[in-house]
Amino acid sequence: MDFSIAVLLAQDGVTNGAIYALLSLALVLVFAVTRVIFVPAGEFVTYGTLTLASLQLGKSPGTVGLLVGLAGLAGAMEVYAAARERTWHRLPRRLAIYLLVPLSIAALVHLLAPLTLALPLQILLSVAMVTALGPLLYRVAYQPLAEASVLVLLIVSVAVHLAMLGLGLWYFGAEGSRTPAFTSASYRVGDVQISGQSLLVLLFSLLVIAALYVFFGRTLYGKALRATALNRVGARLVGISPGLAGSLTFTLAASLCAFSGVLIGPITTVYYDSGFLVSLKGFVGAIIGGMSSYPMAAAGAFLVGLLESYSSFWASAFKEVIVFTLIIPVLLWRSLTTHHHEEEE
Amino acid sequence: MKKSGVALGLAALAVCGLARADINVGVTLSATGPAASLGIPEKNTIDMLGSPTVGGQKIHFIVLDDKSDTTEAVKNTRKLIGEDKVDAIVGSTVTPNSLAMKDVVSEAEVPMISMAASAQIVNPADPRTRWVFKTPQNDSLMADAVAVHMRASGAQTMGFIGFSDAYGDSWLAEMKRSTQTAGIKIVAEEKYNRNDPSVTGQVLKLLAAHPDAILIAGSGTPAATPHKELIARGYKGKIYQTHGVANADFLRVVGSDGNGAVLPAGPMLVYEQLPDSNAVKASAAEYVKMYEAKYGPGSRTTFGGHAWDAYVLLQRAIPEALKTAQPGTKAFRAALRDALENAKNVAGSNGIFNMSAADHNGMDNRARVIVRIENGKWVLSK
Amino acid sequence: MRRAVLLVFIAALLAAPAAAPAFWITLLNYVGLYSIVALGLVLLTGVAGQTSFGQAAFVGLGAYTTAYLSLNYPAVSPWLNLVVGMAITGFVALAIGFITLRMKGHYLPLATIAWGISIFYVFGNLDFLGGHTGMSGIASLSVFGWELRSERHIYYLIWLIVMASLWTTNNLLDSRPGRAVRALKGGLEMAEAFGVDAGRLKIVVFIYAALLACISGWLYAHLQRFVNPTPFGINQGIEYLFMAVVGGAGSVWGAVVGATLITLLKQLLQSWLPHLLGREGNFEVVVFGILMILLLQRTRDGVWPWLSRLLPGAAPRAVSAAAALPGRARPHGMAPLLVVERARKEFGGLVAVDELSFEIRGGEILGLIGPNGAGKTTMFNLISGALPLSGGSITLSGRQIGGREPFQIAELGIGRTFQHVKLVAGMSVLDNVALGAYLRGHAGVTRAALRLDRREEARVRAEAAAQIARVGLADSLHATARSLPLGRQRIVEIARALAADPLLLLLDEPAAGLRFLEKEQLAALLRSLREKGMTILLVEHDMDFVMGLTDRLVVMDFGQKLAEGRPADIQRNPVVLEAYLGAV
Repeated sequence: MDFSIAVLLAQDGVTNGAIYALLSLALVLVFAVTRVIFVPAGEFVTYGTLTLASLQLGKSPGTVGLLVGLAGLAGAMEVYAAARERTWHRLPRRLAIYLLVPLSIAALVHLLAPLTLALPLQILLSVAMVTALGPLLYRVAYQPLAEASVLVLLIVSVAVHLAMLGLGLWYFGAEGSRTPAFTSASYRVGDVQISGQSLLVLLFSLLVIAALYVFFGRTLYGKALRATALNRVGARLVGISPGLAGSLTFTLAASLCAFSGVLIGPITTVYYDSGFLVSLKGFVGAIIGGMSSYPMAAAGAFLVGLLESYSSFWASAFKEVIVFTLIIPVLLWRSLTTHHHEEEE
Repeated sequence: MKKSGVALGLAALAVCGLARADINVGVTLSATGPAASLGIPEKNTIDMLGSPTVGGQKIHFIVLDDKSDTTEAVKNTRKLIGEDKVDAIVGSTVTPNSLAMKDVVSEAEVPMISMAASAQIVNPADPRTRWVFKTPQNDSLMADAVAVHMRASGAQTMGFIGFSDAYGDSWLAEMKRSTQTAGIKIVAEEKYNRNDPSVTGQVLKLLAAHPDAILIAGSGTPAATPHKELIARGYKGKIYQTHGVANADFLRVVGSDGNGAVLPAGPMLVYEQLPDSNAVKASAAEYVKMYEAKYGPGSRTTFGGHAWDAYVLLQRAIPEALKTAQPGTKAFRAALRDALENAKNVAGSNGIFNMSAADHNGMDNRARVIVRIENGKWVLSK
Repeated sequence: MRRAVLLVFIAALLAAPAAAPAFWITLLNYVGLYSIVALGLVLLTGVAGQTSFGQAAFVGLGAYTTAYLSLNYPAVSPWLNLVVGMAITGFVALAIGFITLRMKGHYLPLATIAWGISIFYVFGNLDFLGGHTGMSGIASLSVFGWELRSERHIYYLIWLIVMASLWTTNNLLDSRPGRAVRALKGGLEMAEAFGVDAGRLKIVVFIYAALLACISGWLYAHLQRFVNPTPFGINQGIEYLFMAVVGGAGSVWGAVVGATLITLLKQLLQSWLPHLLGREGNFEVVVFGILMILLLQRTRDGVWPWLSRLLPGAAPRAVSAAAALPGRARPHGMAPLLVVERARKEFGGLVAVDELSFEIRGGEILGLIGPNGAGKTTMFNLISGALPLSGGSITLSGRQIGGREPFQIAELGIGRTFQHVKLVAGMSVLDNVALGAYLRGHAGVTRAALRLDRREEARVRAEAAAQIARVGLADSLHATARSLPLGRQRIVEIARALAADPLLLLLDEPAAGLRFLEKEQLAALLRSLREKGMTILLVEHDMDFVMGLTDRLVVMDFGQKLAEGRPADIQRNPVVLEAYLGAV
């Protein structure tokens, strides 16, 4: 392997690592606040890419139907809850969140789809559309189980993943799609060609990570979420409803995933079932971060990307074996250097 | 009680010589899971057929999805045989599933027509393959075509990159055999997964070996991933694909990077460009026109053709079998098997079948043509 | 009554091959294979609280071992292949468990994901294992020369193994190691305080589950007579977990119920959905996912607890008289029992315990008191081993405690209670207390699984019942721990500590949260224990409670000893009044 190959592999690994990093941040975020292991993260990624690909073709994406269906379900659940708990005064606000907003997004996407707008607008629409699925999914699938054990929440996550996977096949078909590159620019450094798209992916990822940092450090909602993550009972005592915190978290996580999907679309072909392995690699990064530390999770994800890139060069048939076995020493090192508090179920 | 009742009823039917309403054909294919892009056109083809009448009998298709999984395929086969009492089985889409089903159909003595590529499914001719037939061209036939074409265009060395699954494995094994005959050296072997976000590592390794030609053994749009990467990294040699990519989605995804790529394929892919003298042209046209009328122009895939060909074979064999026995009986299934084995000059969408006891595929060189990709179209290479 | 239901179930199983249509037997065979794997997960995940995604990979190990051996060495009996497969599986599980189970946190799930994915590609890329295409032509099994070629024949073997695994797993749960496994889920601290080597036990349970999976794989290979990597990938691994949770991971029957439910549901969906929703799409997996979400929203503990309520309740097993367990040798003479010498504990720069020295004499009740943040609980944790010493020494009848793990300290003769009650909520009072006698029994997993531990078990139960009677809870023997009020739960903790036959009883704020009457009863109990010669160290906040009860007091403030002496003297000590009582 000469130097230029090493650099190319590193570039490839860092680009993928940046996408895994976004996913692992989403996973850590969701786990910290809701104790849900966000298995369907991968489907949000593929929905993001494939929704954009549908818009590219001037077609209204199948996910519009899902959004409308989930919004109707969540709305019905809110009405039922209001009737049962006699909290009618809260209903208008909640219906606005769970019914009005998603329905307007769905309508907007459906109406604008045939116009084949400029790429940035299409990206905006796709991300908004897939992001809107996040809080609805939380409301419908997870909120009724908010107090259940981590294991039950995990199994529900797997069920959600399966359902979204099946719907993805139905909406987008078995064949994959690519979206156009944001830029065709490419820079030459020595003998090494560096693609503008890779740089953009890296740049966007770092920007998002920085934005998250600001959000959690500076804004009221961010601080509230952090409080919920640290202490659920305490957060409730100071007036942060876990339902709201959950919805907000899922909104954030869904937007992170949808955005990853938009970033990954021009680099590779995305299939309805691409999400699972991608989110699994994000998950590996998240675990290296102990499911709680954002910078460590991001670092872990970059490590996974690099490992993957180099092992695909050295022994492509055993790539996954290498990636997943080399994680073990890292885990050992993590467990020896960190102090864990005992978890209770 | 119930079982003996059914048996009594069947016996009564047989005695009276009354025809039963339907011939039941069980279909198990991979409509979901990793092989979904192959299984869906097969399923569409069966759906398109509806309930056709053959030899005065209505054929009733029972379609099950095996999710690209061997356990499911075997379970489906047992269900079709045990519950639905089928007279024949069509499936499965992929090689491992078909191999796993062999024992089940041989024991139950139900003829099976596989839609998977590997020659292992019907070879060697022994008791385990007695009941098993297949419609796709043996991958050895296709591999030979690639090797011959490479040699003719002056390549001395080749690189291989294929799926890390049974499809890629089988192509690699066949290419090793046929390149040896053709005098071409394989200088690099790489594998990738259809869902890999990047194949940069494998492509760099291939390029480092400087092969004259590169074969990509993948199916559907995932085969475009290494293709685009090779072009992006400035590969100037010839790129070969396999017939697994022969659908419109591949052309959409590979875009202009696909120009000049060569692949072996069933004649139906480019039937319009075949001379009228071609033996397959008419039968291919029949299928493609019917399919595209239902699923849209350009929706043809050679995989759907494998399902059609299974139907064409049954269409030929069923009237023969009906001469000796009634559907739903053991005797009918045996007669159907014999009729399939004796089917001669059956024109399917992908070739002409001449079955025999030694060859349960029965295809010859007429079952493949060399196709080039030019400006997003399949062009027959003369 | 419950037994009658079981007998009907077994009779139905026996009759099935004669009566049921062929495809039902096929399904029942798969249900059996899945049940065996899910059963391991019930023990590992449902009971011990360790999530594994890698069971399908162990199934694959069993299947591939026998497939390879029977194709390459046809003369060797498949039964021998099973032994080889189990040896390989056991070794791999030991290695994975050794690396991951000693760590806390989410490492086992990740390691099993890694393992599940890796093995799939290893199988797929090794040519001698047939690569991704697989290996066909595996021989069928024979029992005493009788070939199990047909599905109806191998059915009996599969379900015999299912019933045998149910029996052994159920035995295991109702035994000395079983109680310890059930204690793991509530946090390791409690289990370790009674001498359970939690790290080792978790590995043992992981191996047990892996071996069950391996047996299932062996059966699979000989049923299917074909193996390739797809049935052993990560998706199937998740599916096994699904079965265990949906069925009810808390009970062995949950495994069978889960495997049955999921297999049948998939069949029903496959048959009915095309009629309901048309044939254009593939909605099986979508509807399946949605149904599972709904099901877990209705019954989050799975289906079995719900089914179980429909069945008649089982009468609790009575405690029979048995020979007493051997007691611990007790030191004689006037030498102090526990000596703390210049004990020191730092957290970062903060000194929580600063050069503290005191001793406890045999047969006394010593109170350790002090204002909030004085370092009492830290001192308590140093003695129990929950925290390591930074300096100084602690000895129990002359033997060092510092540097030992909690389970080793328990072995030396220290029994403890917890500030926040730590009982296994779903287990009976009797079983909770019997856990205290963990170190007084010897039965291991194998003996327990084969029910060879009954004599020892009777003695342990008799001892536990005696301790429960001693603390005055004889009427709650078979009640579940969670059904008792807090005051009584604290008393159960004391009975559990007594069952360990300790030299020294450590009580961590036993009066916290108790009402006046309950405190009176607790004090009376502790006095009666002292009269029988028990030595007690009491960390307490409640001054009235301590003053009337203890023989001597050690007062701490800012990690240091402020005063030591009889309660009456302490009450008059001006320094204590200033620092502690004065502040109240």
